[in-house]
Amino acid sequence: MSEEKATLPPLAATIKKALPRAAYVPGLTKTDLDLRVAPAELLVLVQGLKDNPALDFDYLRNMTGIDMQENGLELKYHLYSFKHGHTVQITVATPPGESHLPTLTGLYAAANWHEREAAEMFGFVFDGHPDPRNLLLEEDLRIHPLLKAHPLQPIEVVQGIEDGKAGFDF
Amino acid sequence: MSIWPEERLSHADTEGFHTVDMTINVGPQHPATHGVFRMVLTVDGELVTACEPYIGYLHRGLEKLSEINDYRQAMAFWDRTDYLAGLLCEQAYCMAVEKLADIEVPERAEYIRVMLSELSRINSHFMFLGAFGADVGSFGTSFTYAWRERERIYDLLEEVAGDRMFPTYYRPGGVAMDLPENFEKRCREVLGHIFQGIDDLDGLLTGNEIFVERCRALSPLTTERAINLGVTGPVLRSTGLAWDLRKAEPYSIYPQVKFDIPVGLRGDVFDRYMVRLAEMYQSARIVEQCLEQIPGGHFLNPKLPRNLRIDDAEAYVRIEGTKGEYGVHAVAKGGNRPYRMKLRSPSFCNLSALSEMVVGHYVADAIIILGSLDIVLGEVDK
Repeated sequence: MSEEKATLPPLAATIKKALPRAAYVPGLTKTDLDLRVAPAELLVLVQGLKDNPALDFDYLRNMTGIDMQENGLELKYHLYSFKHGHTVQITVATPPGESHLPTLTGLYAAANWHEREAAEMFGFVFDGHPDPRNLLLEEDLRIHPLLKAHPLQPIEVVQGIEDGKAGFDF
Repeated sequence: MSIWPEERLSHADTEGFHTVDMTINVGPQHPATHGVFRMVLTVDGELVTACEPYIGYLHRGLEKLSEINDYRQAMAFWDRTDYLAGLLCEQAYCMAVEKLADIEVPERAEYIRVMLSELSRINSHFMFLGAFGADVGSFGTSFTYAWRERERIYDLLEEVAGDRMFPTYYRPGGVAMDLPENFEKRCREVLGHIFQGIDDLDGLLTGNEIFVERCRALSPLTTERAINLGVTGPVLRSTGLAWDLRKAEPYSIYPQVKFDIPVGLRGDVFDRYMVRLAEMYQSARIVEQCLEQIPGGHFLNPKLPRNLRIDDAEAYVRIEGTKGEYGVHAVAKGGNRPYRMKLRSPSFCNLSALSEMVVGHYVADAIIILGSLDIVLGEVDK
């Protein structure tokens, strides 16, 4: 653990100094600093990252849902600060069957469509989202295609080489 | 009674005269929406009071397809995202895979990539100039001028990569084949035409008073609001913030070439147009420098594994796409397929700001504002 800490970028120390009370576990990806946080702590942490003048994360770059199968779902946020030019990734893991997360639309207007996409593709529920409708999929479709368990049609069936009914029943 | 409509109106009895808001459907099959994009406008007379965008008509499940194909196969889907500059998307994808697997790219390959990607950027911006001119009302004229130059760039790409729009030319670790022998001569030829073409369009559009009057001071965006909305690329730069990922978070060989970041003053539609116009000169400048600096050597890393397997790794790679920050969030968990590939699409994020930007403007201006965002639906819908 001590070895890992030594390799963390200076931003990790800045965040620790600016937000001493925040509960998160720092880590590293190939590109960015990663903060792992519980769903209940997410809003407080992001609010702190955004409002603290030493951090000033004013731009929500990206939001990525990942299906961790038996470990539930994970949502990754990427924040960027135009003033300081640094990036941080926040990882929130939700247990299986309980994919509720607070919405970030109150902090970042950009979160609106990102959250709608993550909700339809993975089945996240964003509490307090102003417009929780499907975005890319049909409006009445209640499937979550990016879950690993979502079936894929074998191409042989679609082309009629193998027997089977083409298409899905939803 | 006066013949002037204003005076007639002032005399008219407006007591008990009610108007009802009307709903207008625009798209998805409509040339002004630049693809299969649909928006429902609520209008009060000529003024837009609400705008509801609908997307997803071109959703092909890019991210799911990337998960079920191996690293090299999946790349072919990615230049179908921003299909006006497919090579830029390939570059982002390849950079993500290289980051995950710690693959080194030979310098010659980096130069080839930057040159062709910048040519693609010029190509995409030509498309913008042509289509935007048509949006504002130049009908086919700007289109024809823009197409002439795009055709030349496509010809050059075909000579290099074998295909015009979807070359699938880059590989994780380099590019598929070396440049043809006469590339430098041909490229300089095309560049000369490009400079002439930009000047032509500049004269045609910027020199047209009707064009300028329609675009100036239309739908200005402040820097703070643009950042909060997640807007990037030329639209963000038009608000006066010189933020370009090629300089803010340099990648590839961009630190070794000289170029400037054009910025706007007011963030209105005219500034967005001008920023793109100025960017094309800068891109052409980068290509010229690359032609002079390009070193010899390998075009593809010779030590690549035959079957690319990547253990647990995660990376968020971002490049300056033609429309803004083009990001690829890649997660690997062993095996020869990505566990998750997420596209952070600049058009998608810019488009999410649309409904806020068109409210309070005329219907005809709503089309111009949409055009000024320069969306590509392949990228919006994934």
